[in-house]
Amino acid sequence: MNGKMRLNRRRFLAAAGAAFGAPYFIPSSVFAAPGRPGANERITVALIGAGGRGNSLMRELDRSDVGHEAQTVAICDVDENRLANSLKSYEAGVKPYRDYRYILERKDIDAVVIATPDHWHAVMTVHAAECGKHIYVEKPACCTIEEGRKMIEAVNKAKVACQVGSQGRSQPEAYMMHRYLVNGNIGKVSKVWAWHYESPSDNNPVPDSDPPPELDWDAWLGPLRWRPYNRKYLPGSFRWMMESGGGQIRDRGAHVMSCAMWWMGADGTGPATVEAKNVVFPRQGVWDACVEMEVTYEFKNPDWTLIWAQKGEKTHPDAPPAEERSPDENQISRPGYGAIYFGDKGQCHHWGGDGGTWAEKKVRQWQPGPGAKDVRKSPGHFEDWFEGIKTGAKTIMNIEAAVGVANLTILGNLSALLGRKLQWDQEKYTIVGDAQAQRLMSRPQRYPWVF
Amino acid sequence: MSARRLGPVSVAAAAVTALAAESKAADDAVGQLLAKIKDKSDKVRYEGISSAGPVGAAAVKPLVQTMADGEMEVARAARRALWNIVRYAGRPKARKESAAVVKELLAALADGAPVNVKRELMWMISELAGDEAVEPMAALLKDKDLREDARMVLQRLPGKKSLAALREALETAPEEFRPNIAVSLRARGQKVAGYPPAKLEPTLQTKVQVLDAAALAEAEKGAKEAKQSRRRGKKQ
Repeated sequence: MNGKMRLNRRRFLAAAGAAFGAPYFIPSSVFAAPGRPGANERITVALIGAGGRGNSLMRELDRSDVGHEAQTVAICDVDENRLANSLKSYEAGVKPYRDYRYILERKDIDAVVIATPDHWHAVMTVHAAECGKHIYVEKPACCTIEEGRKMIEAVNKAKVACQVGSQGRSQPEAYMMHRYLVNGNIGKVSKVWAWHYESPSDNNPVPDSDPPPELDWDAWLGPLRWRPYNRKYLPGSFRWMMESGGGQIRDRGAHVMSCAMWWMGADGTGPATVEAKNVVFPRQGVWDACVEMEVTYEFKNPDWTLIWAQKGEKTHPDAPPAEERSPDENQISRPGYGAIYFGDKGQCHHWGGDGGTWAEKKVRQWQPGPGAKDVRKSPGHFEDWFEGIKTGAKTIMNIEAAVGVANLTILGNLSALLGRKLQWDQEKYTIVGDAQAQRLMSRPQRYPWVF
Repeated sequence: MSARRLGPVSVAAAAVTALAAESKAADDAVGQLLAKIKDKSDKVRYEGISSAGPVGAAAVKPLVQTMADGEMEVARAARRALWNIVRYAGRPKARKESAAVVKELLAALADGAPVNVKRELMWMISELAGDEAVEPMAALLKDKDLREDARMVLQRLPGKKSLAALREALETAPEEFRPNIAVSLRARGQKVAGYPPAKLEPTLQTKVQVLDAAALAEAEKGAKEAKQSRRRGKKQ
């Protein structure tokens, strides 16, 4: 990785391998049961999507407690400049690719980290699972209801470990919030109000143009229907395209609502109705994700309401201000989003919900007494993934849970796009009574980027 | 006063008057919508986009024409307004409105719009249409620029007719396009012999080379020098 990082055994081996011209690595599966590395084996990893987020994830992996167990052997990007620049951050011998399928056909690679724009998540996850790779895929898991279903099927069929990047579930203060709630400190929770600031508008729209020579535009689009290149589509601004990123509700909603579903014990359930109101779309440019929106999800048996409220420039006007913390405490660096939990005996809230999750003071100070219920405590998001790889244990943000959360974001955007309330049948896994909305539960894919 | 008392001639006259009034109201609504869509202010255009849904089928043709407007943001506003019409028309229990919009979209598609406008129209049709769109989409399978979109739209259109069109295309399409058709048939739950998808066959090559230890050291040295140079520049 970068020059400042420690040179450990695996890097020495990688560098030595490159020096002797050894192009491939010995995967962990050679030493243990197929797909399950032995206790002392390193896991060979490839990064797909070597942009800012992808490289940042690989640094996080490197710094994690399982960093010494991982060996990065390949990276992939459809932008040659990004690929070449990114390559300099890794050890000698790491192989660059434009086409992720070269990575999938390599038998010496155990696992992939997928950090592409969202419209690629499902296809790559399904393909990686079909090739027997363990998967870490960024959130939100999928862009359509059907994509999510296919991801679950593929991961379960291949019996690979899949961790989705809603890292909030692995944060220490998320654990505190969870424990505080399940021990009844605010009684029975009937409403969760998640706030977030708005998605951006494009105040300087540009015309479509030819793509730059370093970018394989066709490969960037992948499964999406073809359209002319516009430089406002990428790199990070894919977030503001409805078909790819889908706006704040999908980017941060996949974090904050992931915490809500986890803490409410609602994984595996879904809302009965979804309604987006107060929707504001961008006025110009190519971005089309909602600037403002308020989505209400009504859950039944048990009954509770989840609200996604997206409004305001830096934070929602009704959001609680960030708490002041003493210098020795973990500081709140992103107070612009979070959630308030309303119970019949009180309320509590947290800021963030992703890699930064900060619980309010009374939650942090609460000490469980005798007989208090405990909840699952993640050792860290990558650590938990590696545990899944080694033991087959279900990851904390497993594919079923992640698809459930992504479905909330998809249904919220669909309600906004269609301008009407949607009925959802979780058991039948479908929208009810709305033929157009049902068609939009899936999206035909451009060949050959298909399931 | 009852219609019986008025007599048949009076009833017909009243009906014509009502239809004329309705038609004038529709024309007015379309005119007002287009005026907003073509306005210089993004705020006014947005008002047009947001209120387009109920204007319905009558606005389809002029909006399609405006989608090719030379003013970039006017063209985009027209496209968004048309999408809102499609989404509004697709609401439950609005079959007549939906059918009227599809009819106009199909007519516009046949009218010879620019290829990117046609693409957009095809995807609008995919959200609303039934059998009536199958033949036009099947015909577009012969258009090299649009055949992939047509194939995907046929995949989405429900019913036996779209399935039959895909089956026929599997027999008649150029050989290199048949794996694409096979994907759609499989997505529709059909068994297809042959034409396995090339989904896991890598093809795209990079020109970026593996860095050996010496190249990496060189790159690190270059990056360090560039950083120092930037620092010196800042100090000056």
